[in-house]
Amino acid sequence: MRTEEEKYREKLEALQNKRRNRFRILVCIDGSDEGYLGLKYAARMGGQRPDCDIILLYVRPIDQGLHSGGLQVRIARENMLSWGLELPGIRRLKTGLELLVGDEELKKEWEVETTNTIVDGDPLGDNKIEYRHSSGRTVVLKLKVAPDAASGILDQYELGPYNLIITGSAKQGRGRLRATLTPSVSEKVAYHAPCSVLLVRNLVPGKGHLVCIDGSDFSTQIVLQEAELAARFPDPKVSAICVSPDAEGMSKAEKIVVEASHMLKRELNFELKETYVEVGDPVEKIIEVGKNYSAIVLGDSGKGTMNRILGGGVSTDVLRLAYNSVMIMR
Amino acid sequence: MGLNSLSPKLLSQRIGVYGSVQQVARVSKTLKIYYFWEKRWFFIAMAVGFGLLQLPLSDDLSREALIVLTMSVVATILFITEPIPLPTVALMIIIGQVLLLGLDSTNVAKSLMTDSVLFIMGSLMLAVAVVKQKLDKRIAWLIVRVTGTKTSNICFGISAVSGFLASFIGEHTVAAMMLPVGITLITLTSDDPKKVRNLAAVLLFSISYGCSVAGIGTPSGGARNAIMIGYWKEFFYNPTDPETLKYLIDYVDWMIFAYPMFLIQIPVVTIILLATFKPEYRNLSRAIVKLRAEVDMQGSLKPGDWVAILIFVLVLTGWITSSGTIGMGTVAIFGAVGFLVAGLVKWEDINSGVNWGVILLYAAAISLGVQMKDTGAAQWVAEHFLNLLSPFGADEGLGLWAAVSTLTTFVTNTMSNGAAVAVLGPIVLNLATVANESPIVIGYITAISSAFAYLTVVGTPACTIVYASGYLKTTDFLKVGWKMCIMSIIVMMLGAYFYWPLLGT
Repeated sequence: MRTEEEKYREKLEALQNKRRNRFRILVCIDGSDEGYLGLKYAARMGGQRPDCDIILLYVRPIDQGLHSGGLQVRIARENMLSWGLELPGIRRLKTGLELLVGDEELKKEWEVETTNTIVDGDPLGDNKIEYRHSSGRTVVLKLKVAPDAASGILDQYELGPYNLIITGSAKQGRGRLRATLTPSVSEKVAYHAPCSVLLVRNLVPGKGHLVCIDGSDFSTQIVLQEAELAARFPDPKVSAICVSPDAEGMSKAEKIVVEASHMLKRELNFELKETYVEVGDPVEKIIEVGKNYSAIVLGDSGKGTMNRILGGGVSTDVLRLAYNSVMIMR
Repeated sequence: MGLNSLSPKLLSQRIGVYGSVQQVARVSKTLKIYYFWEKRWFFIAMAVGFGLLQLPLSDDLSREALIVLTMSVVATILFITEPIPLPTVALMIIIGQVLLLGLDSTNVAKSLMTDSVLFIMGSLMLAVAVVKQKLDKRIAWLIVRVTGTKTSNICFGISAVSGFLASFIGEHTVAAMMLPVGITLITLTSDDPKKVRNLAAVLLFSISYGCSVAGIGTPSGGARNAIMIGYWKEFFYNPTDPETLKYLIDYVDWMIFAYPMFLIQIPVVTIILLATFKPEYRNLSRAIVKLRAEVDMQGSLKPGDWVAILIFVLVLTGWITSSGTIGMGTVAIFGAVGFLVAGLVKWEDINSGVNWGVILLYAAAISLGVQMKDTGAAQWVAEHFLNLLSPFGADEGLGLWAAVSTLTTFVTNTMSNGAAVAVLGPIVLNLATVANESPIVIGYITAISSAFAYLTVVGTPACTIVYASGYLKTTDFLKVGWKMCIMSIIVMMLGAYFYWPLLGT
């Protein structure tokens, strides 16, 4: 006799296997401009392709009755609905949908399916509207209830999986201690998500990605993964940078860049747009060169909480200090 | 199922197709740290509690007082940081009273239910019933008929009417009722939230701050007022001493003290809001026309509406005339029963609309407050607090009032205002006794100051509810909240200094 947990696991695995060949992007919407910029970027990243699923996620915190004096906030929400008003989450998700698909097109060419999932502790639960195009691509609006936004986004990964999570980014220039001890939603997602995460900050599309390499096997994988990702854009532009901490390492850094360039040509027939070899502090150099690109791409430094406080990590430091968007690859 | 609850093996199975084994192991290890990090304040609170219990006892601090003090400190940390569901704190207080203080569990259970708690329960049930009557559109129409279409007048009208209603039926009720009114006026003016950013702030804050400043007006304006009335009675009233009759504060007594302060603040709220957020539209005629069309569709008042109004008026009359004899809680419960018997609200709606854990929380906090007084813990804290204030000349008179008001304003901005009064009440009332000040004046200052939680979304119920509209940012509360805090403290201090002495305090 199979337990409920086993049944759930089998169902989830079947769903995940079905989704293995699809390119799934989870875009977190919170009403900010960064969220919508990220969504437009997701659309550029192959949103029109049949193998692409874009999932728009809005996370609403579970009602805390004490803050509303013991009267559940749902009473106010129900009152809003009775006036014919849309709840903020739905309103923001619909704004996102309008950015992806026009009204007329949506009516004519897309099938709609609505699902409600019961959530412990919240009477309204999770709500999902799935729009399926005849070509195969889908757009999903997901209104999720969770204790906090970061938990909601990370929980949502379980129902995925996703190739990429896109979320707005915290303010540039947060201190290392602050970012580690009181991480923002985007920082929590960047640290803990099992897949790649794009943190949107001053995102200007069309300027390409700058991928950071250090000659390790992991960075080689990152370059390959980034080239595959870039190929989804209408005008793929990827540049690479390798920073040596001192002048002695310069020749080695040059060799790493050349090898990466050859490897991309050989494996994927992909040309790097520019290559940079710099000497100095890796974080500073990457940020300086990276500001001319749409996003800086780095591999996850894989450091735990204590290590982040003590020594940081190139990826987490770039994430905090960069002027523009940063993608943490996994 | 939460990510934290997944075993590493299960997590590995779920995402194994995409990540390497090392990656999964690292993520699951991080998640365990993440769990402890998320709950860090719970463990810190427990460690602080353990440390406090090891403090040496003195002549003026008994073992029981130290235990109660420790429980209060731990509960306060948990109230503010919320690492665990808040009703759990209430359950921990109950367990602590039995296991640490050695009290009889039946006596602890009895101490949980007082008229204040009955009032909180009844008024929450009433709140759901009142919101369900859908009288909000008519109220909105009434406002705009009087104010016209000018934005500033509408804001004043919304503040005044929200305030008037909230002063009797609680700010959460009115905020829930009026929220759609505000949003309708915003959306009918423009579909693009960016074009009506300031207008939205002015209209929604008119509702929330109108309600917040009104909550001080009557005992039924908020749980905090009922809690303070309960403390006065519990701490100072002695049936055998006629001198202590003054500590039985009834509905009208409270209104005479506090209602004028609400009335003075209402126009100032509108001025502050209009000066802080300059609305993009000075006239809302387009929205008003559409609103009128919606109200017209409702037709005239139905018999059910009249019955609801009648029950509401009866409850109000009961509070004003009989709360001294049968208790405010009984009157509130009577109102809830009236709505249920008349079939104007379903029990299921009340059951799902009221957060019963909150009632449990208030009950436990009040019970702990009484223990603070009985064990002498409150007096110990009061004496030491007073010693701290004396170098600044704030250990008596106006200085002490300002100190109590500032302390309450600070605490209430970090937790619910009812919880703030429940925690601070026993301390400040003892403070008044030690400093030879009137416990009534200090009590009013505490209860009124607990409404000055304008700085955060979670400060007052009305702020939390209007924030759910999605039109406001947390920074908006800071932007205007500090001005509101200063204004309210000044009005209260002036009232306490010039007006209350006229009432014989």
